[in-house]
Amino acid sequence: MKISFQKRKNLYGYGFVSVWFIGALIFFIIPLVQSFIYSFYDLRLDAGGMMGEFAGLDKYNYALNEDPNYRSYLVNVLRATLWKTPLIMIFSLFIALLLCQKFRGRTAARAAFFLPVIIATGPVFNIISGNMATTGNGGADRFSTTFSVDLVEELMELLGINSISYQLAVWFETAANDIFSVVWSAGIQILMFMAALQNIPVSAKEAAQIEGATEWEYFWKVTLPSVSPMILACFIFTVIDSFTDPSNQVMRRIADLQMDWKYGEASAMAWIYFAIVMAAVGIITAVINKFVYYEVE
Amino acid sequence: MRSTEKSAIRRKCSTVIWSVVRFFILFGLSFVILYPLIYMVSCAFRTPEDMNDPTVIWLPKHLTLDVIRETMEVMNYWKTLCTTFLLNVGCAAVQVLSCAVTGYGFARFRFKGKGLLFGIVILMILVPSQIISIPQYMIFRYFGPFNLINNPLCMYLPAAMGCGIKSGLMIFIFRQFFRGLPTELEDAAYLDGCGPFRTFLSVCAPNARSAFLTVFLFSVVWYWNDFYVSSTFFDKNQTIALSLKNLNILLSQKLFGGAEVSLREQIVWLEAGCFLSVFPILIMYIFLQKYFTQGIERSGLAG
Repeated sequence: MKISFQKRKNLYGYGFVSVWFIGALIFFIIPLVQSFIYSFYDLRLDAGGMMGEFAGLDKYNYALNEDPNYRSYLVNVLRATLWKTPLIMIFSLFIALLLCQKFRGRTAARAAFFLPVIIATGPVFNIISGNMATTGNGGADRFSTTFSVDLVEELMELLGINSISYQLAVWFETAANDIFSVVWSAGIQILMFMAALQNIPVSAKEAAQIEGATEWEYFWKVTLPSVSPMILACFIFTVIDSFTDPSNQVMRRIADLQMDWKYGEASAMAWIYFAIVMAAVGIITAVINKFVYYEVE
Repeated sequence: MRSTEKSAIRRKCSTVIWSVVRFFILFGLSFVILYPLIYMVSCAFRTPEDMNDPTVIWLPKHLTLDVIRETMEVMNYWKTLCTTFLLNVGCAAVQVLSCAVTGYGFARFRFKGKGLLFGIVILMILVPSQIISIPQYMIFRYFGPFNLINNPLCMYLPAAMGCGIKSGLMIFIFRQFFRGLPTELEDAAYLDGCGPFRTFLSVCAPNARSAFLTVFLFSVVWYWNDFYVSSTFFDKNQTIALSLKNLNILLSQKLFGGAEVSLREQIVWLEAGCFLSVFPILIMYIFLQKYFTQGIERSGLAG
């Protein structure tokens, strides 16, 4: 039998992905399906594997209605992600724009901003932020004690936020207090935005300058559309990163249940959580996708 | 003439003002980022008494290496470091190779079912490891006739097959990178009679050096910081991240003889532990920082 070179070459594609595919089947697909099945069972560990009786939707009922903390944890995590995600995105885009400009000391600044990528995911982050909280050094207070002025209060006075509304002032204060966690979870996003910004062709900038566009117009008309695919990617990354962070309350609850060998309950909780995450990501992706500008390949 | 001069001056003024503003923004935020690290170093080298001295904020009055030494003993530092290197850095290296091969397969070949398979990759990025950790545990506990729990193989096997920590993301990065490479070189290799595997090894892989390095660094960092997956598969404190996670328990067992000690009094040792566990990675980062920040730009993450 004779097949063309192109076809034969493409058959090699299976060769390249086959090792991964077998691995994914064993270590990913099967566990995924299994954990879904577990969530419907009363499980106990026996010699030779998991034994269980079918329990229907009991575990889901337990997670949603009987567990004392699950629902409030869920709401907390969702709310935190909701306000932190846009903040991280805007912040990282802003910093990426700054770090892409030419100025002296740029390398040092970049090195400082990528540092969180290295440290922020591990237990180091938890210990450090925990310790600083116990010594009263956490949040924005620490700068106030360092400089012996209440900087946040001053800034709010300056911007006139206090006079607008109490709600806004409270929101502003929580945001300022959490600046540490925002800055520290923006490392990879900054990298991604910088990569996107460097891909904007120089000719676009030149054309805009000849046409007499201001920096402000250039940002809205050229920069933002060109990085919009990356905004989507960054958004998904940020949401997933925040939801799957092992130190958030829901994840900790799930891990605790697993420690107690309550696998059915843990799986049910994990799947409810996962379903919500997927729904949220799906809806917002669909919305953002409407505004994303793709350059034709 | 006048007006052009004026506008030139105005433009110059605004650039100067902007660079001052930019300096303050970047300097302030760098300070926010570096603050905990400075705090960490400052705490790790002071005596515990200095913690309670209100006049000591940054510079400790009594510099000491005792805390570092005690923490190293508690963490069994050198042995832990060796295990971490063997386990995490080894896994990271193996994983980079397997992900590169897979990513290349997705980037360059058209085959049936590719869309579906790539969907699995996306799913791997999205599904948190907490969902699949129990069934994975079961797989390794009853791996044929073997019990692989506490065996390095249960980290190495998934890594070697491109299913380790965050490998979905790495396959994705490699795919984007290889798609960005020009095909001419490969075509030339094919004309010279190379098969696809040889082409990949001798033409594509050398060109992808920066991508390899970047992904390897990410991979090392993710493995180094992981405690969830390793705590699922190991029940002894074997890696740096694990022993750091349990450091307060270890401290009260070994150093305080089981006595209840408040978190506040433990801080110096905890910070010393942080310092010890970050230090190797920090050294690596300082040396490879240039590649790290440049490589990602060329790695085609922007696809």
